Parts: sequence; structure tokens; C-alpha cells
Amino acid sequence: MTQVPVQTIHRDPQLFYWILFPITIVMVLTGILRHYATVLMATAPKKLDQKTTREQRSLAHGISVRGNFHTLSKRSFNARRDVLITAYESGSYLKDPENQGQPPPNPMSDPSSMEGMMGMMKNQMAMIIPNTLIMSWINAFFSGYVIMKLPFPLTIKFKSMLQAGVATKDMDPRWMSSISWYFLCIFGLQSVFNFLLGSDNAANQMAQQMGPMAPQTAQMFGPGVDPNKQFLAEAENLAVIDHYSVLDDVEQRLLEGIRI
Amino acid sequence: MAPSLFRSPVQLPPADALELSKQAPAILRSFPSTVSSSAITDLFSAPENPELWLTYENLILSSLRTGDDKAAHGCLARLLARFGNENERVMALGGLVKEAEAANNGELERVLKEYDQILSENDTNIPIMKRRIALLRSMGRLSDAATALVQLLDFSPTDAEAWSELSDLYFSQGLYPQAIYAEEEVLVLAPNAWNVHARLGELQYMAATASGAGGGAYQKQMAEAVKRFSRSIELCDDYLRGYYGLKLVTGRILKDSAKPTKVTDEGDFLLPDTKTTERLNQLATAKLAEIVRHSSAQDRGWRGYNPAEVAAARELLSEDSSSGVVR
Repeated sequence: MTQVPVQTIHRDPQLFYWILFPITIVMVLTGILRHYATVLMATAPKKLDQKTTREQRSLAHGISVRGNFHTLSKRSFNARRDVLITAYESGSYLKDPENQGQPPPNPMSDPSSMEGMMGMMKNQMAMIIPNTLIMSWINAFFSGYVIMKLPFPLTIKFKSMLQAGVATKDMDPRWMSSISWYFLCIFGLQSVFNFLLGSDNAANQMAQQMGPMAPQTAQMFGPGVDPNKQFLAEAENLAVIDHYSVLDDVEQRLLEGIRI
Repeated sequence: MAPSLFRSPVQLPPADALELSKQAPAILRSFPSTVSSSAITDLFSAPENPELWLTYENLILSSLRTGDDKAAHGCLARLLARFGNENERVMALGGLVKEAEAANNGELERVLKEYDQILSENDTNIPIMKRRIALLRSMGRLSDAATALVQLLDFSPTDAEAWSELSDLYFSQGLYPQAIYAEEEVLVLAPNAWNVHARLGELQYMAATASGAGGGAYQKQMAEAVKRFSRSIELCDDYLRGYYGLKLVTGRILKDSAKPTKVTDEGDFLLPDTKTTERLNQLATAKLAEIVRHSSAQDRGWRGYNPAEVAAARELLSEDSSSGVVR
């Protein structure tokens, strides 16, 4: 077998300075700009007024009574249960008691929930717009250039990844096109942003794409949930508790458990 | 254990607080007055971290305790520069500094008016609400403080700190049932807090002794006190307060054990039988003696006890032996 001759392509060395560096710098600057734009556009979390706080915390209170009923004596638990069930069923903890029994308002017409959606839209936009612009900029000016040769050999499978936009069958996969460098920058600059902006920066595209997949924790008091229904369900949960106390026979447990 | 600036200095003995506040000028000098959160400017100034702000906050508290108002103002100015005037926590700290500097009742009234002003603009500012309650209490207006606390707890019933303050407030006025109710609410929010269990035991015991060794309520409360102390020990071995209370309560029960146990309705706790009570008393006595012995010998692993509590335990033990009761 003969040694395959090493492919050499004579490139203008200026390509390196006029394409590779500009793309990298533009990518880094866009990331930083996106971070600060997101920080600026972020709206402060809306302050809850007293009635909303009361509604949410009263429900949380009921839940903790239900969860920790075993620390109370039967008498104290029954007193709490009676008070909570009466209040829940009469709707006295509700933000606006006169709305009790009516269907929940459409979340699309509720201005407070619209704000949340607007925030998500803004974030998406901050990601999509710069990416589209840069992509079309690179396509318009630099498409089809081979800009560098990687210093290590690669198998043929990498050809589609590294030579996007260059339709040459026999070229060594070590040659890299400008579009591919752009994609590499998108995925590879994360650690640079971490270094420049701190670890929870908004320039991180991957995190934003992963974001919606995270479990929604705020759903409990989210838009479209009828608090009255939650209260009624909680009242029912409280009503069915079969009370026992952790204090029953605690002396026996103690005497058996502790040796002098 | 050396006092740490990362912990709230409220519980520290005076000497430790003094030591902390002596560090204040050095700390204020060693950290620059402005910090940034991004790395490009990081090269020129100190990085921001939560510990720094915690340090400033705790420094304010200990400086105020030791009368170093200048250092307190220095720390407060830096917190203000970072978080602004509108931050609720910083507002409360600023109020605290003003309260500490007030020379007479008139100035305190003025601070109180400011709090009322802030609360009329924003009625969910919980730190300021708590400051107002604390101020009312320290000015001796206990019923006003209780009303304000009840108001706070009405819209925020999941605040364990406020419940326990309310319990303490009622207790200081001798309203035992109310104090017990509030302490039980703390327990609902923090079911495994052994100190709260022991505190509830203490409240039950005091309520029982205050009402006198009469009727069914006495026995029920004593029984619950025994159970609460037992639970606190079960949750935390070698808990001095738990053993102290257990010994006190069981000793008392044994002393007036002549009365028959009345059968009350099934929801109430019953006193344990005499044999169990005796064994509990023995256990508590032995454990207390062990704790006192190890703690006064400064043995390894027994050093964290509060000296005052150990002294009280020693006194209880010596009382017991001098009265000649061998249990």
C-alpha cells in the first residue's frame, strides 16, 4: 500500500484573519450582548398583594397541618381541623370571595399571566433574532470558504459536520468551512461565556432550550387554577385524616431506645 | 467554638459579640466599598458572593450590640449601595440601626411612625412589620405588639418565626393556652424541631403548675409535658433541656402521685403509670449527671453546652441529693 498523498490546498493566509477571527469575535460579542439584553429586559417578579399572599399561604398552612398532624395532640388537631375546614369551605381565605363558584377566568385574558408569556417570548426572541442575523451574514459573505485545517486526522463521517456548504466529495475531512466554524462556535463558546459572565449567564443557548423541559414548580398557583377548588380539595383531605400522634407511647420508645 | 461571622450573632454571649465587632474595622478596610458581579470588571474589584453580604449583616447586629455605631453605619452603607433603598431586608436593618441609636422614647416614636409610613405604602413588607412588632414590644406596648403579630399571621400563617414570637409574647403575659397554641403552630411548620418540642413541654409544665394541682387539666398538661420532653430527647440524644424538663416533671408527678388518674375522654393524653414515671426519672437523672460530669470536665464531644444550663442542671441534681430522695 502506498501512502495517500497529503492534500494541500493553497489558501490565502489572510482568510484566517478576515474570516475566522471575525466570526469568533462576533459570536462572543453577540453572546455577551444577549446576556445583557436579557438582564435589561427581565421584568422584576411581580409583588403579591396582601390578599394573594394570604390565599396562598393559608393553603400552604393547611397542607402543613395535614402533613404534620402527628405532632399535635388529638384535641389540638381537631380544633385546627374544624377551623380550617370551615374557613376553606366558606371561602373566607379567597382573594375575592364573590367570585366563588364561578369558572376560572381564561388565562389568556388575565394580564398577570400574559406577562409571564411575554417574558418567555422575549427570551426566545433574544435567541432567535441574533442567530438568524449572523447565520445569514455568514451565508452571504463567507459561504463556501475553506478556512482552516484541523491539526488532527478525522474519519470521513465528520465531513458533513465540518464541511457544510462545501460540496467537494474528495476533500480531506480535516478541512473546515466557515459555516461549520459558526456552528462549532454556537456549541463551543459556553465555557468562554461562563468565564466572562459568570455561571448563570443568559448567553447560554443550551440552557434556554432545556428550560421548558424542567418540571414546572410554580404551577400550583399558576394561572388558570381555581383556588376555590384547591381549598375544597384540601378541606376534604383534612377531613379524612385518621389522627394518631407521635406522642403516643413515646415514653416506652424512649426507655427502650436509650441505654444509660 | 470560635464565633463565626456567617452565623446570626443573636444568640452569642456578650464576649463573643464584642470579639466579632472588633473585627469590623478590619473587614470594612479589607473589602472594597464597591463590588461588581461580572468578570471583566472582576479584574479590578472584588468578586461578589453571598457570604460577604451575610458578613455585613451579622457585623451590623454585633456592632450595634457592642455600641460600635460607626462600623454599623459603614456596613449599612455598603448594603445600601448594593441593594438600594427599596430592599425590604436592608430597610429593616436600617430601621434597626435607627432604633439602636434612639436616645429617648420620642425618637423611638419617630422610628415607629416611619415604619407605619412604610407599611401604609406596602402592606406586605414583612421584615419591616417584624421590626415594628419588635419595637412595640420593647417599648412595652405588649397588646399592640400582639395585635400586630396576629394581623401578620392572618395573612402569612406559614411564618414559624412569627408564631414563636407570638407564643413568647403570650407567655410573658401569662396567657398559657394561647402560648401553647402558637407554639404548636411552630411545631406544625417544623415537626422535627426538638427545641420546640422541649419548649412546648416547658409551657405545658408551667401552665399545669400555674393552674394548680387540681382537676383534669392539670393531669392532662403534665402528661403532655412528659411526652413532649420525651419526644425532644428522642429526636436529639443528650439534649440537656429535654432531660432537665423530664426530670423536673416526672419528679413532680411522683411527688403528688397519690391522686388517682381520672379517666377523661379518649382524646387526651394519660399520665404514664408510676413505674414508667420512675424509670423516666431515673433515666433523666442519670443522663443529666453524665452530661454535667462530662461537660465540666471539658471532655471531647461534650463541649457545646451552654454553661448556664449546665449550672442549672447541677443545681437540680444537688437539690435532689440534698433532699435525700433516692430515685
